[in-house]
Amino acid sequence: MFEAIRGAIIDGSGAEASRIAQSALEEIDPLDMVNEGLMPAMNTVGERFGRGELFLPEMLEAAEAWEETMKVLKPKMLEKEESILKVATVVIGTVQTDIHEIGKNIVAYMMTASGFEVHDMGIDVPASKFVEKAEQVDADIIAASAIMTTTMPYQKDIIDYLEARGLRNKYIVLVGGGVVNQDWADEIGADGYGELVSDAVDVAKQLLAERGRSRSD
Amino acid sequence: MSVKDFDMKVFIPKVREVVKKYDFRFDPKTPCPWDDDLADRIYQAAMDLYVDVGTYCTSTERVIKFTRKEVEEAVYECPKEAWFGEGPDRVVFKGRKPDSPDIPHCHVGSGTNTTEEVALKMVEAYGRITRAKTVSIPSVTQVGHLKTSSGSPMETLAGINMMRIGREGLRRAGRPGMAIINHMSSCAAGISTVAASHSEFGARPSDGWLVAPHAELKIDYSSLNQVAFLNSWGANIGQEAGPILGGYAGGPEGTAVVTAAYAFHGILVARATYHLTYPIQIVPVCSTTPGMIFVVSISSQAINRNLGVPYYALGYASAGSATKQYFYEAASYLCAVHASGMGIEDVHPNKAVLTNGALPIDSEFTCAFGHGMAGLTRKEANRIILRLMEKYLDKIKDGPKGRTVDQVYDLDTMKPKDELLKLYDETVRELRDYGIKLK
Repeated sequence: MFEAIRGAIIDGSGAEASRIAQSALEEIDPLDMVNEGLMPAMNTVGERFGRGELFLPEMLEAAEAWEETMKVLKPKMLEKEESILKVATVVIGTVQTDIHEIGKNIVAYMMTASGFEVHDMGIDVPASKFVEKAEQVDADIIAASAIMTTTMPYQKDIIDYLEARGLRNKYIVLVGGGVVNQDWADEIGADGYGELVSDAVDVAKQLLAERGRSRSD
Repeated sequence: MSVKDFDMKVFIPKVREVVKKYDFRFDPKTPCPWDDDLADRIYQAAMDLYVDVGTYCTSTERVIKFTRKEVEEAVYECPKEAWFGEGPDRVVFKGRKPDSPDIPHCHVGSGTNTTEEVALKMVEAYGRITRAKTVSIPSVTQVGHLKTSSGSPMETLAGINMMRIGREGLRRAGRPGMAIINHMSSCAAGISTVAASHSEFGARPSDGWLVAPHAELKIDYSSLNQVAFLNSWGANIGQEAGPILGGYAGGPEGTAVVTAAYAFHGILVARATYHLTYPIQIVPVCSTTPGMIFVVSISSQAINRNLGVPYYALGYASAGSATKQYFYEAASYLCAVHASGMGIEDVHPNKAVLTNGALPIDSEFTCAFGHGMAGLTRKEANRIILRLMEKYLDKIKDGPKGRTVDQVYDLDTMKPKDELLKLYDETVRELRDYGIKLK
């Protein structure tokens, strides 16, 4: 059954994955289905993306299949007072005036697939909204994407905003995007930077471990 | 329609449908195909795609659509040449066919990050390259000690400063009428672009303004306002697009179709008089991989064979300037676009992220390549590209950062230092063995 549910998620078939999950609920614990079926499937999709074997459409379809299947599993998990062990909570978005979303979407997917609870704020997100959401969901990480040289300064705005409110040390701030590099991350005082979309998870986990905030391995 | 529905329910399924219908296959051994039928099928697929999908306007959450008849009429009526510049520096940029014996339109410069102190010298150096027909001027992201940010007054001031610097640099080079065709490299917001385009600051309608959609086939009021302004002024509008390989369009086949489809968006929505394409791979972030070369090559052939508009391509190398790997990557990309009928532009070094990292010698190389390789066929280009890839492909994920202009140029004379000249001469000799002639 786990293999079947993994296959359905990888194929982006939410209907099939939900059907399998529904039919197996009497016999299999929903949390086991998540840990043995859904999560490995999401990881497989992420790995294949990293190897260039599949692309954003397949990744988005897998994410939709995940969401659809979780609608079946979540109520049962709540009944049993079960929850997915999360690595950390992330608030992610593309900075103010920047409307590019592809890289940010992939990072959001990769983090979800790796056990992070991800709150995606979308595009054109002002610094205040990043921080407001982070406070609301008790986030560990704020991840800000900027794709243009003229929108990079809004990554610094987030850090300035946090500092002005005495919140800077509360959050790990990650920056990324096509024009962003390590020099810029250092200049603005970001905690982490990933050159490739696939770097974000490793950078986040490393920083969490350094701060002793990791909630899993 | 929500943007998510546009992506998931309209765009992605239609891309898959046309790729299947027209039976495209990317072969890594043929990054620069010479199959005219394949190019024509890409064109038909792109038209099918555009007729069914249109352009999504994020400001209104509505789709701008055209009938096939409207698209075909636009194809017939759209500008097939663009006139740039003034006086003796005035040039015409025309469409060109694959395997053409003609010298391509050689466009130099880059809109990458440059400091204000260096920008004027860079533009002057670009202007001194006599075979360059048009120029891109740098982007400055700081005015005095203040960083500029999109949509802010500082961005408007940066745009005005660069407009003045660009014009002054070309005057100093003795080419006051030379057209700058990447307005406004320092501005992302439409309002900043329009404000910095006041003729008092040096802008002329015979320059060119790049109007950007975003991935894929989406536009907003900021860009449409630029179109409204530029079209009313009679200025050259450039349709620019950077489709993403690995993004919504999927693999190389789908991305090639979408790249070609942007030309229809360009003539219908952006009212373009010229077109720039710079597809890019999401991992690794550059355009010199086999899949990327295929995308830019076959999509250009599709447009150049069937639409015939002024069309040029911009590539991004993994390696930075003043490295041998940069020139291998640049030569590989230029082979593909030159043979596919494109106008050529400097391949941008180090993924365009290193401030002051684009060098005038890159522009010299572009022009020498454009002239020296006139008559390059796609078949021969493919052979050279495969050999060049052996030199750089295994290093592409982590290319050398390269050097900045202050490190390898004498900034008083803007002459390359000996170490750069030595590296360039060595590399040119090596490239000659691969069949690359520079003139």
